[in-house]
Amino acid sequence: MSNVNAVTFTIVVVLFLVVTGVGFAAARWRRADDMLHLNEWGLGGRGFGTFVAWFLLGGDLYTAYTFIAVPAAMFGAGAVTGWFAVSYTVILFPIALIFLPRLWSIARVHHYVTPADFIRGRYGSRGLALAIAFTGILALMPYIALQLVGIQAVLTVMGVGTTSGNAFVKDLPLIIAFLVLAIFTFVSGLRAPALIAFIKDTLIYLMVIVAVLYLPAKVGGWGHVFGTAETHLKAVNPATGKPGVFIPTTGNSQLAFSTLALGSALALMVYPHAVTGVLSTKRRDIIKRNMALLPLYSIMLGFIALLGYVALADKATVANVKKAGNPQLAVPYLFQHLFPSWFTGIAFSAIVIGALVPAAIMAIAAANLFTRNIFKEFFKPDASPRLETKVSQWVSMLVKLGALLFAIELPKTFSINLQLLGGIWILQTFPAIVFGLFTRWFHRWALLAGWLAGMIYGTIAAYNVSTPTTSHWAGSVNTVWGHTYYIGLTAIILNIAVSAVLTLVLRAARVPAGADETLPRQYTADPVDAPTPAPAAAVLGTEVRRGD
Amino acid sequence: MTQPSDTPAIPGRSRSPVAAHPVTSAIIAILVFASIFFALWVPLYASATPKVGDFPFFYVYLLIYMPVLGIVMWIVITLQRRLRPPASEDGTRGSAAASGGEVTR
Repeated sequence: MSNVNAVTFTIVVVLFLVVTGVGFAAARWRRADDMLHLNEWGLGGRGFGTFVAWFLLGGDLYTAYTFIAVPAAMFGAGAVTGWFAVSYTVILFPIALIFLPRLWSIARVHHYVTPADFIRGRYGSRGLALAIAFTGILALMPYIALQLVGIQAVLTVMGVGTTSGNAFVKDLPLIIAFLVLAIFTFVSGLRAPALIAFIKDTLIYLMVIVAVLYLPAKVGGWGHVFGTAETHLKAVNPATGKPGVFIPTTGNSQLAFSTLALGSALALMVYPHAVTGVLSTKRRDIIKRNMALLPLYSIMLGFIALLGYVALADKATVANVKKAGNPQLAVPYLFQHLFPSWFTGIAFSAIVIGALVPAAIMAIAAANLFTRNIFKEFFKPDASPRLETKVSQWVSMLVKLGALLFAIELPKTFSINLQLLGGIWILQTFPAIVFGLFTRWFHRWALLAGWLAGMIYGTIAAYNVSTPTTSHWAGSVNTVWGHTYYIGLTAIILNIAVSAVLTLVLRAARVPAGADETLPRQYTADPVDAPTPAPAAAVLGTEVRRGD
Repeated sequence: MTQPSDTPAIPGRSRSPVAAHPVTSAIIAILVFASIFFALWVPLYASATPKVGDFPFFYVYLLIYMPVLGIVMWIVITLQRRLRPPASEDGTRGSAAASGGEVTR
C-alpha cells in the first residue's frame, strides 16, 4: 500500500462512511407503519415524487460501469462501440414514453411488483412468467458483478489492495464495500439507494463538470483531443485486428451503430431494475415528466464518453493503461494523473458510490423476482407479505454474494461477456412485456417459444463472434446476409416472427389462451392513493392472519 | 369498475381520446417517432463538418440533441394532457376508488 495517495484515500473512505450512514438512516426515511411489506422494502412505499424519482432513475440507469466502460470503449475502439451509448440514451426516452406509463398504471391497479407479475396476470401463464423472471435474474447477476468491476478499476488505480498475492487480502476492500452495501440494502430496501442517489448524482455531476472544464485544457484543448483520437483510431488495434471508428461513414458501421443503439434502448427499460425504479413512483405523470427530465443525464454521459478521447490525448495515461493492459483504467488513470489528489478522491468516490446505487436496486429487483415469481408461485402460494419481504431480504443478500464471487473469482472478461449476453437475453422479454401492454393478440405459448428461439439464437450468435485475438464472445455485433447488426436485435426479430407465426397456428387450433385479469381502462388508470393506505392494509391484515 | 360516473356525459366521451383529437394525436405520434428516427439515422450526421467550436459535427449533433429531446418530450406530455377529457381529475379519482374496491374484493 506504499503507493497509495493519503489524501485521495482518506476522501474516498470518508465519503464511503457518509454513504453507509445514509444507507442505514434511510430505513427511517418516509417510514411506513409496516415496513415488512414488499411495497415498502422493495418499492419504497410506491410514493416517490418527480424529484426523488429523477435521482433514483438516474442513479439506476446510468451505472458506474457505464462511467468506466463507455469511455474505455471510446478509448479502445471509438464511435461504434462507445458513442452509440449516447444515441441509445437519447432514443431511450421517447421509446419508454410509449409504454412505461401503461406498465405503471397496470402494476399500480393490480399491485404488481415485478414485470413477471404482470405477465402472470395478463396471460394467466405461470410458465411464461417463470421464463421472464428467470431471464431477469440471469441478466441482473453479471450486471451487478460489473458494478464491482467498476469499483475494482478505481481501487486498482488507487493502489489499494493490489500488492498482496493472497486473493482474499487483495480483494478485501471490495469485500468490505460490498458487505456494507448488502447489509444496508437488507435493512432499508429501496429507500437506501433512493437516498444515496442524491449523493451519487451530486458527486457525479461535480466530477463531470469539473472534468469537462478542466481536463481538455490540460492536454491541449478539444481540437487536439479530437485530432489525437482520429489519428489513434485510424491505426489498426492489435486486440481486434481492425482500425477503430472515429466517425462511422461506411454502411455497416452505421448499421452496427444504430442497431446497437436501438437494441440497447429497447432492452434497458425492460430490465427488472428499471421497472423497480419506475414502479416506486407515486403518480403516472411522474414517469412521463422524468422522460423529459432524464435526458439531462444523457448530456453528462456524452461528456463522460468523450473523456475516453481526452485520455487518449494524455501521454501518461496512455502509457499507464498500456502497462496495465486494461483500457477500463483509462478514466481513473486520467483523473489520477491530472486532478489534484483531493479532487481525485471526490471523483473516485463518485464512481464507487455510483456503483453502489444501481447494484442495490438490481439486487432488490432480482430478489423480488425470485420471491414473487418463483418462491410464492411455485413453493409457497400462501406466503404472507411479511414472509415475502423476509425472503426478498435474504435473496438480495445471496444475489450480492453471488455477484461478489463472480467479480473476484472469474476473469473480468467473463463478467463483461455475460453482461453483453444479459442485454441480448433481457431483450427477449420485450415482446411478451411490451406487446402485452397493448394487445392480447399474441398467444402465451407462442411468446414462450419466441423467447426460447431468441435466447438460443442470441447466445449462439454471441458465442461465435471472434477476432484474431479472441476466439469467442468478442463483441455484440455479427453479420447477417452481408450486413452488420446488433445480435440482440436480430434475436428479437426472430423472437417476434416465431411468436407471430405460432400465435396464428395456436389460435387456429383453438388452444386455450389463458385468463386475463386486466381490463383495458386499467392501462391508463392513475390511482391517487392506492395501494399503501386502505386497500393494501386490508389485504395485508387478512393475509397476515391467515399466514400466521 | 361498474361505479356510475358522476361526471356529466360529454359529447365524444364514449369515443377513444385518439379519435376525439385526431390532430393532437397525430402531432404526438410524429414528435415521438421523429425523436427516435433522427437519432438512429446515422448518415444524417456522420460527418466531421460543420465543426462547432472544436467538436466534429458527429459528436456535437447528439450532444445538442439531448436538451432538444427534453423539450420535445415536454411538448408531447403537455399535448397528451389535452387528450384527456376536461373532467379527467374526477375521472381518475373515480377509477382509483373502483380499482381499490376491486382489489379488496
